[in-house]
Amino acid sequence: MTGAVEGLSTGRTPRLVTATLAALVLGGLVLAVMSERHYRDQKVREAQVQAEILAASVAAPLAFDDADTAQAYVRAMARNPEVLSVGVYDERGERVAHLSRDGASPPAPRLQAGETPSREGSVRVASPVVEAGARLGQVRLEMGSEPVARRLARYGGVALLIGMAALAMIVLGAAQAALRRANGELGRQAQDLAGANARLHTEMEERARAEEALRQSQKMEALGQLTGGIAHDFNNLLMITSGGLDLLDRTSDPKKRDRLKAGIRQAVDRGAGLTRQLLAFSRRSALKPEVVDLGARIEGMRLLLERSLREDIEVTFDAPADLWPVEVDAGELEVALINLAVNARDAMPAGGRLVVSARNVPGEPTSSFPLDHVCLAVTDTGVGMSPEVVERVFEPFFTTKGVGSGTGLGLSQVYGFARSSGGRTDINSRPGEGTRISLCLPKSARSAGEAPADAEAAAPLLDEGGRLLLVEDDDGVAAVVIQMVQDLGLSARRAMSAEEAIAVLAEDQAFRLVFSDMVMPGTLDGRQLAQHVRDHYPHLPVLLTTGFSQAAEAARSEGLSLLPKPYRLPELRAALEQALRPKN
Amino acid sequence: MSAGRRLGFVSPNAPLLAAWVGLWVVLAAGAAHAQSLEYPVKANYLVRFAAFVDWPGSAFASPGSPIVICVAGRDPFGRRLDEAVAGQLISGRRVLARRVSSAEARSGCHIVYLGGLEAAARRELLAALASRPVLTVTDAADPAVRGLIDFAIARDRVRFHIDNDAARDAGLAVNSRLLSLALTVRGGRS
Repeated sequence: MTGAVEGLSTGRTPRLVTATLAALVLGGLVLAVMSERHYRDQKVREAQVQAEILAASVAAPLAFDDADTAQAYVRAMARNPEVLSVGVYDERGERVAHLSRDGASPPAPRLQAGETPSREGSVRVASPVVEAGARLGQVRLEMGSEPVARRLARYGGVALLIGMAALAMIVLGAAQAALRRANGELGRQAQDLAGANARLHTEMEERARAEEALRQSQKMEALGQLTGGIAHDFNNLLMITSGGLDLLDRTSDPKKRDRLKAGIRQAVDRGAGLTRQLLAFSRRSALKPEVVDLGARIEGMRLLLERSLREDIEVTFDAPADLWPVEVDAGELEVALINLAVNARDAMPAGGRLVVSARNVPGEPTSSFPLDHVCLAVTDTGVGMSPEVVERVFEPFFTTKGVGSGTGLGLSQVYGFARSSGGRTDINSRPGEGTRISLCLPKSARSAGEAPADAEAAAPLLDEGGRLLLVEDDDGVAAVVIQMVQDLGLSARRAMSAEEAIAVLAEDQAFRLVFSDMVMPGTLDGRQLAQHVRDHYPHLPVLLTTGFSQAAEAARSEGLSLLPKPYRLPELRAALEQALRPKN
Repeated sequence: MSAGRRLGFVSPNAPLLAAWVGLWVVLAAGAAHAQSLEYPVKANYLVRFAAFVDWPGSAFASPGSPIVICVAGRDPFGRRLDEAVAGQLISGRRVLARRVSSAEARSGCHIVYLGGLEAAARRELLAALASRPVLTVTDAADPAVRGLIDFAIARDRVRFHIDNDAARDAGLAVNSRLLSLALTVRGGRS
């Protein structure tokens, strides 16, 4: 549209200016020509009158051959400075008297009456000499007009005005055209800019999407790498458990049985820890900062890290007990740690040592890090990196690994996590001397949540005994949980589904608590059941349990009490104590 | 300045003087030449006077009547006068030339040339035409018996005297421009 308007205006203006200029010049010319013609006509009339006066005067001298008198009249006529030459001729055409100024030839005889311009700026006229009808001769007169220079000067003023007007119009027209061009250019540039901006936005969005997708796929890749080791690990655990159980049946020696039970318990605990880490790792959620005890968290990840590395790599953990708490997204922290470990593993193709350490680093008020930090460092004895690689190693998609073996997103995730958590990353590396990557996170003013061990103190709550309503679709799980509940001094009534639980509650509200699985067959799930109980029996507490991390997230976000599966007896006890404790 | 208009003698008496100094033949030829120029000029002048003189209406029988030039007595002009009047149209009137006797010149003429008359006859005719609208022209006459216009030779040229008083008496109006060319004007030029 801008282009169309511009094309219209730039096309029209010069034509308009040119037309006006042409009209102006034409008008000036016409005016000059008319003025010149008028001037000339006037000059001719003037000359004619002069000739006629002379003709009347010389009639008698001509009739009676008085050349002297005729010459006297001619001389009198020539007093007029504009008269260039005068001639008086008798009826036979012979000159009787004449006079001509310098440079002017005497008028020729026998010329037709009327004007015959002979020279620039002069007019020639002839007048017959007639007395009482008798033709006596002819007077011819040449009259000069104003010099050309003086006439030009007379028109000069007008010409100057026209010239000035023309110049003004040309300048104006040119200026306007230039302005319009500039405007058009500006408009185009603005459009280009807007287009570029839109493209940039689109590209940014696409890139963000691609990065997100890649991040996810990187996660999945890491997960894939873990899978083999985990399957192997689980088989080992199952081997221990299964073999342990077999041996338990075959021995009655209490010492031996205790050792076997301890071995089975250890294997089951390791399995539970492993699945918890996997669920946390596979969780896909936005950054959700929580106060985290780094030491406990690292210790919790020990298994996962060991699984993600190879057997020829020796892993050492080094974290003091008095680490400050930090406030970060626990899931992202774990991913970052895994990424650092995987990166270290890949830097040690021939095996080596990997140290995961954590230290409190007090802030230095004068330095660029005035705040207290907790620094997590992963050190390997691998191939190291050149300064050029070090410089780029946190860039997204930068990778030294072969095609298909790395996304180049691992360390960039570490960097991004550190930045979004208010921390920083450091890297120390030299070719052949290994690499140390530090992830420093600011100290949190809050302290980490209380440990479940505290629940032991509140145990008396359960001593009152009583009944709870267990909602669980799996018979095996239900049987074990009922045993555990009874072991805690409570009795349980079981419902197979949320619908059944609602029906039971409608008849019998004499329960201390509703303990429900979250994901069950049927139209209602644990959350909806909890909602129902909250609405209809506000004094009846609800404790939910699930093995699905997403369901657990949803329950936590609604403020519901939750016990993640799998759980051990002490954990169940603590969760029940917590749920039964009167709310403030 | 036309050579044809220049007259080759000083006075009419020159041939006589020339004869007396023994150069008669040469000067006679010059006189003949002078004669041949003087009278054609005068014939022309006779016709042109008509253009510079106004006659009263009563002088003509009708608006279309011609102007009649009469040569009384001996005719010195010959065919020159006839040539001079031929085709002339003055104030819308044709011009006629007549050779008349002294008696005939008393009526029907507007211009009468008396140069060909003897002094007595001239005087008698002038008296007869006095106070009548007739332009009388004499030729180098005694000042006492001149016509309204009297030819003279001055500086080799044919000039004339004008008696404007007598012209007014005769009812003629002589153009002032003609008066301005006269050698003398009796009665003033206005």
